[in-house]
Amino acid sequence: MSLQVENTNGAASGRPKGGGFADRFSMHTKRLAWIWTFLALPVLFYSVIRFYPTLDAFRLSLTDWNLMRPPKFIGFENYTKLFADPDFWQVFKNTFAYLIFGTPISLFLSFTIAFFLDRVRFGHGFIRALYFMPFLTTAAAMAWVWRWFYQPAPIGLINDFLAYFGLPQQPFLRSTTQALPSIMVTAIWAGLGFQIIIFMAGLRAIPTTFYEAARIDGLGEWAILRRITLPLLKPTTVFLVVLSSIGFLRIFDQVYNMTTNDPGGPLGTTKPLVLMIYQSAFSSYQMGYAAAQTVVLFLILLVISLLQLWILRDKS
Amino acid sequence: MASIALEKLVKRYDKVEAVHGIDLEIADGEFVVFVGPSGCGKSTTLRMIAGLEEITGGTLRIGDAVVNERAPKARNIAMVFQNYAIYPHLTVRQNIGFGLYTAKLSKDEKNARIDDTARILGLTDYLERRPAALSGGQRQRVAIGRAMVRNPSAFLFDEPLSNLDAQLRAQMRIEIKKLHQELKTTTVYVTHDQIEAMTMADRIVVMKDGNILQTGTPVDLYENPADVFTARFIGSPSMNMLPALALAGQSAVPSDDVLVGIRPHDLLAVVDGAVPEGAIVTLEGVVEAVEPLGPETMVHLNVAGASLIATSPGTLSPAVGSRITCTVQPGKLYLFDAATEKSLGRK
Repeated sequence: MSLQVENTNGAASGRPKGGGFADRFSMHTKRLAWIWTFLALPVLFYSVIRFYPTLDAFRLSLTDWNLMRPPKFIGFENYTKLFADPDFWQVFKNTFAYLIFGTPISLFLSFTIAFFLDRVRFGHGFIRALYFMPFLTTAAAMAWVWRWFYQPAPIGLINDFLAYFGLPQQPFLRSTTQALPSIMVTAIWAGLGFQIIIFMAGLRAIPTTFYEAARIDGLGEWAILRRITLPLLKPTTVFLVVLSSIGFLRIFDQVYNMTTNDPGGPLGTTKPLVLMIYQSAFSSYQMGYAAAQTVVLFLILLVISLLQLWILRDKS
Repeated sequence: MASIALEKLVKRYDKVEAVHGIDLEIADGEFVVFVGPSGCGKSTTLRMIAGLEEITGGTLRIGDAVVNERAPKARNIAMVFQNYAIYPHLTVRQNIGFGLYTAKLSKDEKNARIDDTARILGLTDYLERRPAALSGGQRQRVAIGRAMVRNPSAFLFDEPLSNLDAQLRAQMRIEIKKLHQELKTTTVYVTHDQIEAMTMADRIVVMKDGNILQTGTPVDLYENPADVFTARFIGSPSMNMLPALALAGQSAVPSDDVLVGIRPHDLLAVVDGAVPEGAIVTLEGVVEAVEPLGPETMVHLNVAGASLIATSPGTLSPAVGSRITCTVQPGKLYLFDAATEKSLGRK
């Protein structure tokens, strides 16, 4: 068969003619075809399921929409209403309380546990599995167990324990000051297993000769930790700081499940932004207002993450 | 500077004994190389000297002091590791400075010492760089710098050149040797590479299965190996080893149960059919392969079923498949007891 017009299909001219169908295309063209075949599905999926709704949230935040009638454009009214709402500022404060206390405490705990667990040989796998278990547990189940812990005596485990030693009873979830820390403890405990596993992987990646060389040079345990282990663990730490911060800024499950009678209560003192969004959207059906809150949350997450990456960047 | 003495040194891991009570005296300023195949206990012995492994039994002295129970930092030794063990997050200056961590010096004195060390090692231009911006050889030099900056009583090297390419390895060999000649610090060097051992050591310690087989100067080990293992381990290519039976009919070879060793460089191919005078062994074989090296050519022969390596001068390489004659001059046969593999001297 002879072709009148040579179709190179992107292949270099002057290449040998003949061969099968696949030989008509250059290696480069074929590789691109493969790449885009595999990428097509996720690209399509993300566009429809993720990017479009995200962008649409920005549009909806400028409308008044209760699901029944088409959205009505109202400009920045939702935002002015939000910033004038004292509830929002309470929620804002709560959200940052989860972040500012939750992230450092959980990272400190998980690093300490990982650091010592790394040295334990006896029952290492079993202990590690125990720490990881909460991560595999449903947030709802976990929250309800902790809720039981926080009950008044004789039902609640902690108050029972306090009573046994003659210590005063604590209101925990029923108090406007203690509720948020009580929920935070649950959230920290839930994420601990994952952070420990990641920290241990980071610790394992440091060659043992680094420590041996340091011991020969005369560094003590504390100096080794401060001058070798922590700096070399920085990429792991940055990863966990960002991930954990996003986790605390988006906290919802624990709060919702531990305060079901009055979600985010008492008096909104435990309510995080995500719960407020949920209530605006699905209790009040103020979709535009909820979308505006979503945009605010998105901007907070973006700024915090970029800030952390910038602060913890490699300064070399 | 100090001498090091190992007396009946034992290392046991649970039930496995890795080092079986070895004795060794290392003189002040001596360069001793531990050589042997992997798993022979050479690194374990070095790590016991460093204090990184606990000593199960026996006594270790550095200088006059028994240091069995002293922490590594209290032994005043410095160690260079195979993977360099230099810290990627610190500059070259900071890495070398780590060697002075416990030194009671002012910051200026420390910096002066670091500058001196860097100058000796040719690292002055790299002091403010991170290890990632250095080549393998330069990284190894930083590791050596960290070791030498505080004038330790002994240097310990654990296969320091194994991660380098062949050319760089040859260069670093000479540099380390020069450095030792300059500093005259007692050095214990572990390698599995017999060429490193031969070229660098004042004295070689051959180890196998947790025992010392032989100690001696490189030439001594090459000329008078104590047993078959050392004979084959030292020298490249390895010594040819044949049962006496395979050489039956050669007047110089005893007929009893012995192993005969011939170094490839002593088994010379006959050129132009002229058998040299005084040859005590003459062998004929079929050429299986040739390796031209430039100054000489290694000829792989099949002699009555046994594989031997002989040398042919220059680039004169016989054709594969042809029959050639090889000869050995007097004094170049190494005899070993077939049962114990111990040396019976040379002939």
